[in-house]
Amino acid sequence: MKKSTSIRFGVGAATVAMLLTACGSSSGDGSTTGTKGGTLYILTQGEQILHLDPQRNYTGEDLAFASGYLNRTLTQYTLSKDNATASKLVADLATDTGTASDGGKTWAFTIRDGVKWEDGKPVTCDDVKYGVSRTFASDIITDGPSYAISMLDIPKGADGSSSYPGPYKADAAAQALYDAAVTCEGSKLTFHLASPSSDFNYTVTLSAFAPVRKDADTGEKYDDHVLSNGPYKIQSYVKKSKLVLVRNDQWDPATDSLRPAYPDTIEYDFSLPADVITQRIMADAGNDSNAISPDGIVPTQLAAVFSDPKFEKRRLNDLDPYVRYYAINTKKVPNVKHRQAILAAANREELRKIAGGIYAGDFADGVVKPNIGVDYAPTGLWDTLLGDKVPVTGNPELAKKLIADSGEPFPNPLVVDYAKTPTNDKAISSLVASLALAGITVKPNPLEPGGYYGVVLDPAKQGGMSAGGWAPDWSNASTVLPELFTPSGGFNMSQYDDAAFNAEVAAAKAMTDRGEQAKAWQALSVKSMQAALALPTRFGKEQRLQGSNVSGAYTWGPYGSYPYATLSVK
Amino acid sequence: MFPYIIRRLGLMVVMLTLLSIVTFLLFNAVPTDPAMLTCGKSCTPELVAANRIRLGLDQPLYVQYIDWIKAIFVGRTYGSGTQTFPCNAPCLGYSFRNGEEVTVMIKAALPITIYLALGAFVLWMVFGILSGIYAAKHHTEWQDRVIMGVALVGYSLPVFFIGLVLLIFVVVRLHLLPYPDYVAPQTNPVQFLQTMILPWISLAILYAAYYTRLTRSQMLETLSEDYIRTARAKGLPESVVVRKHGFRAGLTPIVTSAGLDLAGLLGGAVITEYIFSLPGLGRLSIGAVTEYDLPTITATVLVAATFVIVANLIVDMLYAAIDPRVRLS
Repeated sequence: MKKSTSIRFGVGAATVAMLLTACGSSSGDGSTTGTKGGTLYILTQGEQILHLDPQRNYTGEDLAFASGYLNRTLTQYTLSKDNATASKLVADLATDTGTASDGGKTWAFTIRDGVKWEDGKPVTCDDVKYGVSRTFASDIITDGPSYAISMLDIPKGADGSSSYPGPYKADAAAQALYDAAVTCEGSKLTFHLASPSSDFNYTVTLSAFAPVRKDADTGEKYDDHVLSNGPYKIQSYVKKSKLVLVRNDQWDPATDSLRPAYPDTIEYDFSLPADVITQRIMADAGNDSNAISPDGIVPTQLAAVFSDPKFEKRRLNDLDPYVRYYAINTKKVPNVKHRQAILAAANREELRKIAGGIYAGDFADGVVKPNIGVDYAPTGLWDTLLGDKVPVTGNPELAKKLIADSGEPFPNPLVVDYAKTPTNDKAISSLVASLALAGITVKPNPLEPGGYYGVVLDPAKQGGMSAGGWAPDWSNASTVLPELFTPSGGFNMSQYDDAAFNAEVAAAKAMTDRGEQAKAWQALSVKSMQAALALPTRFGKEQRLQGSNVSGAYTWGPYGSYPYATLSVK
Repeated sequence: MFPYIIRRLGLMVVMLTLLSIVTFLLFNAVPTDPAMLTCGKSCTPELVAANRIRLGLDQPLYVQYIDWIKAIFVGRTYGSGTQTFPCNAPCLGYSFRNGEEVTVMIKAALPITIYLALGAFVLWMVFGILSGIYAAKHHTEWQDRVIMGVALVGYSLPVFFIGLVLLIFVVVRLHLLPYPDYVAPQTNPVQFLQTMILPWISLAILYAAYYTRLTRSQMLETLSEDYIRTARAKGLPESVVVRKHGFRAGLTPIVTSAGLDLAGLLGGAVITEYIFSLPGLGRLSIGAVTEYDLPTITATVLVAATFVIVANLIVDMLYAAIDPRVRLS
């Protein structure tokens, strides 16, 4: 999913802070059974679904929506309110969750019989193979994840680009490279990977690995009307106005145990003002009692919603997929004691208050988030890891001691990169003040938000500390720790390259026993915090409200989204 | 008058060309790289470079501009390999952010903005002018003070406040109207009116307040002229004095303001469109700016500018019709 620099909760911090007692965790209905029929309304301020094209879809909410209604993937997550259960894989378009061989370098899936496209033609192994190939056409199939390019065993050029340009431009020789890496024998689909991956069956939950039929592919325009193989199909789609899904009469429930498909119609209404969406769902009148909104409650209404018991069964207050943190550049701050001093000195309570208070999230103790499931365990960062307890307001004395113990002065000034927004300006001012108490001089480096990551991911331009947000691509810490803290990761703002750590990460990635792997990630999470590779500030939270007729609403851990497949209206 | 109109139209083409050049230059002056914005999380320098080519941003600015102008007259082809698609003339470009031809987007958005602007225009002109005349006729009396007080309140309230209050009370709380859901008038006239009435009122309140004050002040000025006294002395009925001699003489500044205000709205009533979920030109242009969508920005700027320039021309021609002393040459 996308990295994030935005902080949504800028208003109402003081108000919501007074509501500590009123705010519990998720309520919602959470029902596992629903009622057939009716129309589910989805209200959003967005002007369209960013991408319905499965190979281009790469945001949690959209992935959950599309996989719930339109496109089935080889494997999928369990629909459950419990994060650990939800992170467990189940078979979807495949008959099982995949079979690894060759030490994890080869993965085979068997495509389920009886699954059909909306026009009645069967979904075949070749359709999946073709769909995956579209990712390689990176000049047309944009914005999506590029795991197919990085993981499949297809030669790369000197500049790192794939020798296969995708199905639209490939000549026979280039196509042969792809055909060797992804093979179909009847309904058996085999992926040959460049290096072992123990959790490739999690990777294929992404719709980038979903089928697309070659004769229906319209390239750039496929976004506008995807061919469905799920329980619903697109009846009409007018961007900036609405998307209407109706039942797909070619979908056979006997082939699909994951999607009860309760409503008759799904209507996604775009371009609505955020304030009005919340007001409408609060008022709960007419069709709005059948409505949900993926946008969350506007900050100005949080107090009203969370202090009034009448909303208790309709509101959600759960972790979103993102962890917010400041990556500490180990090249600029090489001494671990200095990095630990930064962690000890920061006033995390004030940072959270600036971000929106209790509704902005829980205090984080690492970069692996509890809603990832089994890979999370408390790191003890603020209790023991730094040598003493660190309250949420910071411990400047401990920070001073750590700097003194380091045997060298702190490399002042500490340049802190951040995307310039009014909220982030305040957060940096807080950091300046709290770190100053420990003798650390922060030099703020505000950057234009649109180009933020282009700067901080360039080692030549990055400062000593950089603000960031991260959400895992699938429910495995293999999409967190290696990405953030190893040279092979795509988001190593810490510029960390420790041989022992890298080796342990590689070993964990290759583990096929999920329980053992989870323990390995938990240990590595502790090590990453011991090494103070980042200052984790909060596990982001999101608050949502749904109409009184909506049943089955909860926050689905894998995507931090509604569990679209199970929603129903009374 | 004909040569005058031809000359003004020629000037309009020059101004629009200059404007499109300036828009191109301004867009390229921003520090954000649009190619980077189209790159997902797994962004690599190769992918950014590929996106730059796909967006045409690898070409020199003048080449990009010439390609864009050329496409307006002859169209162009987008995509690559086996997946190409045409953008037929007049092709104003392709929005990669929205996945749609800009011409198609403008064709969809423009009627909505026109309906919004024209409906509000009629309301505010009728109420603004009538109440302004009435207030002037009752100058210093309580009717004048009431109308001016109401106008001051209406003029002071920002349009987003008026819009939100109307929406929340009339629709969300009192359910007097269904939630705005735009359809074309020929598809469902009732739903069209139900959707448009509140946006029209929101805009009309703001503008009518201004036109009330403007009309009143113009009327007060002309009604105190010597020729008005002469007309009254001649025994002309008061209604004729006010309508024929007073109002017509004070009409010129009202027409100027009305023409420019209407043209401004036709470029997109951003806030009103946003509040009432009307996918008009205003929303389109704001979305384009926030997403660094150059083809859409350029096209919407040009459409808005065309309205202003044409409105100026119409206003100038109306001067001649209203005031015989004005001659266009």
